Amino acid sequence: MRFVVFAIVTVLALSGLTTRLVAMQLAGAPAREPAAALAPAEVGRQIVTEPVPSTRGLIYDRAKRLLVENVPTFTVSVRPADLPLSQRPDVIGRLSGLLDIAATTITETIDGAIGSRFDPVAIAHDVPEQTARLISEDSLTLPGVEVTVDARRDYLDGPLFTQLIGWTGSIDATAYASLKSQGYLPDDSIGKAGVESVYESALRGVYGVREVEKDGTGRTLRVLSTTTTPQAGDSLVLTIDSREQKLAQQALDWGLKLSGAKRGAIVVENPQTGEILAMVSAPTYDANLFSRGISTADFQKLLSDKNLPLMNHAIGDIQPPGSTYKLVTGSGVLADKKLGVTETVLSKPYVQLGSTLFWEWNHAGWGPLDIKDGFAHSSDTFFYQMAQRLGIARLAYWARQYGFGQLTGIDLPAEAGGLVPTDQWKLETLGQTIFPGEVLQAGIGQGYDLATPLQLVNAYAALANGGTLYQPQVVREIVSPDGTVVRPFTPKVIRKIAAPSWVFTTMREAARRVITSRHTYNFVDLPIVVAGKTGTAEFGLRDKNGVLPYHNWFAGFTPKNVWTKDNPTGDVSKPDSQLAFAVFIYDAGTLGNTATEVAKYYLQLHYGIKQDLRLPQLLERTNFYQGGR
Amino acid sequence: MGVLRVERDAPTGIAARVGGVAWRDFDLQLFVYAVLLATLGLTMAYSNTAAQLGGDVAQGGTTFVRGLVWAVVALVAFAAATAFDYTWLKAFSWPIYVVNLALLVASLVLGSSDAVSARWVSIFGLQFQFSEIAKILMIVVLARYLADHDRRLDSLAAIVGACLIVIPPWILVLMQPDLGTSLVFIAVLVGMLFMGGASLRWLGALAAATLAALPLVWTYLLHDYQKERLTSFLDPAKDPLGAGFQLLTAQHAVSDGGWLGAGLTNGAQSQSNLLPVQATDFVFAVLAEELGFIGCLVVFLLFAALLWRILTIAWRSRDPFGLMVGAGVASMILFQIVVNVGMVLGVMPITGIPLPFITHGGASLVSIAIGLGILQSIAMRQQRAEW
Repeated sequence: MRFVVFAIVTVLALSGLTTRLVAMQLAGAPAREPAAALAPAEVGRQIVTEPVPSTRGLIYDRAKRLLVENVPTFTVSVRPADLPLSQRPDVIGRLSGLLDIAATTITETIDGAIGSRFDPVAIAHDVPEQTARLISEDSLTLPGVEVTVDARRDYLDGPLFTQLIGWTGSIDATAYASLKSQGYLPDDSIGKAGVESVYESALRGVYGVREVEKDGTGRTLRVLSTTTTPQAGDSLVLTIDSREQKLAQQALDWGLKLSGAKRGAIVVENPQTGEILAMVSAPTYDANLFSRGISTADFQKLLSDKNLPLMNHAIGDIQPPGSTYKLVTGSGVLADKKLGVTETVLSKPYVQLGSTLFWEWNHAGWGPLDIKDGFAHSSDTFFYQMAQRLGIARLAYWARQYGFGQLTGIDLPAEAGGLVPTDQWKLETLGQTIFPGEVLQAGIGQGYDLATPLQLVNAYAALANGGTLYQPQVVREIVSPDGTVVRPFTPKVIRKIAAPSWVFTTMREAARRVITSRHTYNFVDLPIVVAGKTGTAEFGLRDKNGVLPYHNWFAGFTPKNVWTKDNPTGDVSKPDSQLAFAVFIYDAGTLGNTATEVAKYYLQLHYGIKQDLRLPQLLERTNFYQGGR
Repeated sequence: MGVLRVERDAPTGIAARVGGVAWRDFDLQLFVYAVLLATLGLTMAYSNTAAQLGGDVAQGGTTFVRGLVWAVVALVAFAAATAFDYTWLKAFSWPIYVVNLALLVASLVLGSSDAVSARWVSIFGLQFQFSEIAKILMIVVLARYLADHDRRLDSLAAIVGACLIVIPPWILVLMQPDLGTSLVFIAVLVGMLFMGGASLRWLGALAAATLAALPLVWTYLLHDYQKERLTSFLDPAKDPLGAGFQLLTAQHAVSDGGWLGAGLTNGAQSQSNLLPVQATDFVFAVLAEELGFIGCLVVFLLFAALLWRILTIAWRSRDPFGLMVGAGVASMILFQIVVNVGMVLGVMPITGIPLPFITHGGASLVSIAIGLGILQSIAMRQQRAEW
């Protein structure tokens, strides 16, 4: 009887369901899954506290010109749970048209998103305001599409300050893990480079707390109250003068363009305080790329660029400093009384060590030279002999006194420390002590010596101020939102260099003679008093002609009494300089010293000198090494 | 029971004109069980509306108000079907079949783009799902065919013929896409073939063939979201916030029900609007949470009694057509109960099959009302059918 069978089936089916119901409702709850998985379901419609982001502090230059501000940015997201499947193609098609993103890309973004279907998936950042308006007004035909407004950092001068100021970006997993306890959110943004990163805690401010009512899927229904109002972050006043920064960039760009070199840096410092007035690193890029959410393709391009745009070359590029380093050797040999101020030493075509010849750069020499002339001619054989008199240990001592081989402690991330070779260092890394020939090379800034442009300008700033090594700083003041100075500027002294002041006076006069001896060609014809030192440093591997590529350096300072009409003798004996600078050109490859020409052009611009003494013919690229250390 | 009185009056008027109907044979039990179940459905609609609107239930356009409107429409449909002499249905079964196909095609073409799929058609502002009506029309057509082949269902040809009748509307329903209704079609077909006395051997063979074809259907016919829903019941915790979310929440709600439930409009899960389709597919979870085990048991008993009455009518009709209609309606209701409740209890995949009477949905209620009306018509006209 099929009726009976049907009846039995019915009874069995209903009994089966009843049994299951008994098991679920009356006998515990087998279906109750792990509590964690159910947490969002269990909270239901309820009141939760959530953080309210604070306004990030602004950044100004030393003249209070605004460099970074916060602007609203519109993000378009899709909440997959609210987008009906049947309308998906339509909605994605319309979004594709409005946002100018391929429909497949949008689909991939939505499908590739991890997490809950109730979490919005961002499909476009930094959408133009008009498009954002259009989309948010069209919510009826675009179900599941949301437009949110966030604050974005706008870097007003774009590439000019990128390496200094840095940028903000999304917090990454490791940073989040360590900062979670300080109230950071998984989707927070954080300073990732430059002062944005170093002064993150000051700029960020304190997030507030508010109570909101949410439904079970996490959608905010309404805001109930603000428990704690967010506190805006403090603002930064940089030591940088944006006018100087622009002039420095103009000079560097000119030099790079003419010489065809791609990498370089220029740093300007106030020797009396350690304040950095300008710091330009080339090549650069626009920080707004990052604050807007950089595309993978753009990021890959920056990462794979062999000229390393992401590096701040002024503090991160460690290269042999060449003849600029003779400042260390000269100061050391004077302070250690291994050479008198007026004592002369014979410069010659070469210095022989065993069977090896160490050549003078002009393969001739200049006869007997005192320290000032040796420095002025940049005589290699003179300083080989000075290095021999000092020995590697004392040479390293004086290098470290000037701040080489150690971090300057500037308030910027990713500073490199450079290298000052010693017996101990070589024993530890290469298993041998320094060879006598290597002592000679160390005396002229070659061989193992490595320094950053910042270390160099800081050493010359110490020379200019009479022997005080300051810690360079780029942030002058931290100012609270109401305008009170939270942290005023205080110069920080690293050390007083352990040499009597006459050593510095002598070396300053030697540096002045570099200019007056016309070693730097027409530099002396500027209507100002300049002292400084050129440097040409070989690096890397020999090319097919057996020629090494080389960098150009120039480091120097100007006395306070700078105009030659006020200071006809070119007196640099007073330690009153207000301006020290260093220029670095990577792989210069030019006939003359590109760094010197850039320094000259920068000083012309800085002092507003009408006369143009630039020598562009010296910046023709050559593949023949002309010497001119 | 004001409603009941209104109901009794209306068919009497029509019946007087139709004439000669044995109103003493009106199956009051069937009617009462159905009304009780529908009332429970309205109660749940009230509770759900309260969940969404927080009190202002009676305002126009709410789930509850629409439910009331549909209940009235269903009563009218029931009365009309009862008064209508079912033997005419036999005569008109082929035109009905054509109309059925036309409606399904129309809903594919006209289907509203606002809804999840093309299955909804808007009539006078009320969303209507033709595939629900198609189930009843399908039962009528199939009953006619099987009644014609009474005593010859041993042959494979008759079984294949029945399948051929079902396949065109089945494909149209699947195209909407409405996986749930298409499964109901199959259940109805199997139930009617079985009750019609089809050879068990051939039925078994057919079942085996279907099982063998499943992997093909899985690979080529089902949408990804359908697969996701079908499999999520196996391990809802795997994706607690995605496809498994409804299930976990539903099961949690059921568990919270206990003996007596939280009381109407008091369910923690239900009233926080956590169940994504709590007015429709997951309404039983709300019922279980708010009315508890006792409430569920009452629902089951009402369903059992209803099915009992349907089978009794079918049995008594002694008309192969009447028997087949009863078998079809019973199969449909039983299958929908098992799959819908099973889904909420986590023992069946998520398919979007409504729970008869309880699930808020006009088309479902109206189509069942028509089915029961036809059965009433059969019950009242059995003398004539014998004659």
